[in-house]
Amino acid sequence: MIRLWPRSLAGQMAVLIALSLFVAQAVNFTLVLRERAQFRLAQATRPVATRVVDALEREAQGRPLTRERGRIRRVGRNAVPPGLERQGEIARELHDQLRELGVEAGRIDTGVRAWTAADDALFGRAGGRRGGAPRGFVNRPTEALLIAIEQPGRGWLSIVVPWDDGGGMRIFWRLFAQTLILYAAILVPVLWAARRLSRPLRDLTHAAERFGPGDNAAPVAVRGPDDIAALVSSFNNLRLRVTAMLEEKDRMLGAIGHDLRTPLAALRVRIESVEDDIDRARMADTIEEMSRTLDDILSLARLGRPSEPPTEVDLAALVDAVVEDFRDLGKDVDFPETDRLPLRLRPALMRRALRNLVENAVKYGRTARVRLDATPNGVAITVADDGPGIPADHLATVFEPFTRLEASRNRDTGGSGLGLTLARAIVRDAGGDITLVNRAGGGLDATITLPRVP
Amino acid sequence: MLHADAMGDTPHLLLVDDERSIREPLAQYLTRQGFRVTQAADAESARPRLTAYAIDLAIIDIMMPGEDGLSLCRHIAATSDTPVILLTAKAEETDRIVGLEMGADDYVVKPFSPRELATRVKVVLRRANAGGTRQHAPESGSYAFAGWLLRSGERVLVDRGGVSVPLSTGEYNLLLALITRPRQVLTRDQLLDLTQGREAAAFDRAIDNQVSRLRRKIEADPKSPEIIKTVWGGGYTLAAEVTRL
Repeated sequence: MIRLWPRSLAGQMAVLIALSLFVAQAVNFTLVLRERAQFRLAQATRPVATRVVDALEREAQGRPLTRERGRIRRVGRNAVPPGLERQGEIARELHDQLRELGVEAGRIDTGVRAWTAADDALFGRAGGRRGGAPRGFVNRPTEALLIAIEQPGRGWLSIVVPWDDGGGMRIFWRLFAQTLILYAAILVPVLWAARRLSRPLRDLTHAAERFGPGDNAAPVAVRGPDDIAALVSSFNNLRLRVTAMLEEKDRMLGAIGHDLRTPLAALRVRIESVEDDIDRARMADTIEEMSRTLDDILSLARLGRPSEPPTEVDLAALVDAVVEDFRDLGKDVDFPETDRLPLRLRPALMRRALRNLVENAVKYGRTARVRLDATPNGVAITVADDGPGIPADHLATVFEPFTRLEASRNRDTGGSGLGLTLARAIVRDAGGDITLVNRAGGGLDATITLPRVP
Repeated sequence: MLHADAMGDTPHLLLVDDERSIREPLAQYLTRQGFRVTQAADAESARPRLTAYAIDLAIIDIMMPGEDGLSLCRHIAATSDTPVILLTAKAEETDRIVGLEMGADDYVVKPFSPRELATRVKVVLRRANAGGTRQHAPESGSYAFAGWLLRSGERVLVDRGGVSVPLSTGEYNLLLALITRPRQVLTRDQLLDLTQGREAAAFDRAIDNQVSRLRRKIEADPKSPEIIKTVWGGGYTLAAEVTRL
């Protein structure tokens, strides 16, 4: 279906105004046409009646009407050919007018035929004495109206008058032109006003869509009518407040990070004086874990405004580097040699996401097999382990912050409970996603998929 | 260059940290480890101590009220050969690099193990001693070699086409060691010493392993390497022109 109803403000206003103008013009048109018809009837009949009366008076004074000459001729019978279009209204009106003027007519017949050269001659002569164009009409008529008036007992009078039926069409075109002018005169300012409304609204929409943490775009230009300008400036203020709040949040998180790290660092220094090696190692582990949780929280909070720009990176080398770092720590991680795979991403963050997945794999599955597959539309990094997997009803919730699977994970295995949350946030920020699938034979496949942007 | 010290062989450390809760126990620990430690609570009070004592190494906290640690580090790098180890509270990888570009020799991230700090102090001192001259911030700046670009500040290796090739920590340390000593033959022992990283408990085989991994990444034909060459019985050498940018 063709959508006729436009969606934009300007379009809707234009269509509404056009429709109401059309209705108004149609009413106007009908009224004018009716009036015009009345007027034409009078116009067409009165001169004829007057002329008939004149002619009859002249005849009475001894100047007989002839068959051959003049506009009014006396003939023996009804001279209107039967096939012509009749104008019954004119006949009735003429009858009434003649009666008013004291002429009792019998039947009156009418007929419309094409205007002929003979008519030109007749009317040219008739008007010629007064000079110039024939009187009564500016343009050459297209049709002639034949009128036959019966005078009972005295025969018929035959009259020819110009018949201008173009009046209806002319009025129609005039009204049409008038309507067009009205449309133009009204729609242009309306559209201009609507654009004045819609342009700032559109800017506002774009700004609202773009708005995100770290958005340092200039404020939306305040323009348009007061109502719109007020909306725009209140949006600008809102954005400033939100930005200020986000900055405040970052500052606060930074301060928390600093304030918590300092006592942690002090504690870490002090535990060196603990004599018991096992105790000291456990304390160090706890401090290390707290510190990593702190790091994860801060990273997660700052993810919206990453400091690292995306660059073209060989993803195969990136995966390889992460895997190699784990091998340096003595972990059993496997990654087959893979062809270069350049991709645009934030390398440090992506390393971190992958590191979190591999870390989980070696923690719960002891070994990890990493695979990098390229597809036409994207790439998939799969980290497979041989661990217990994740119960099906927990597959979705493990991405929630601070989620731990109590059955398989306890404090001894460490971790902040933010590893997967952070990894998924990083990957989603890059336009991809992470899926977790329990393999049929046991073990878990964690897959990072990333789109390949041309 | 190590300064002569009133207390003989005991290295003299200057510890600058505004946090008393860290500074004092750390000073105690380092003293127990056989260092002589002078403390300062801010950059302002650290400056006169740098000239008043023959300081062998400065340990500086980055986040300090007033003049920060980076500024003090820059001052030290510009005016003396004294090596610097930075204490940083920031964990973001980009932040770590800034200190190295300011002329620091190494850094540790809070909360750090005092043992690790002591180890690093020894490594930096030994390096400064052995080299005779300070090798300030080998990690700062960019190096171009054989069509590759190593942006050490960001720890990024970039190929001719502008594509970054991420390196593991071990690979990066090894490449940096080779690249800062082009055309020198480096034995496995030397490489081990130079690449002694925070986690790496590397041994001989590990060096060979890392070298072959690096070759796979940067050599056109890893089987007949043109950039990192093996010196039979000696070790490895970087056989390429290195331009420091």
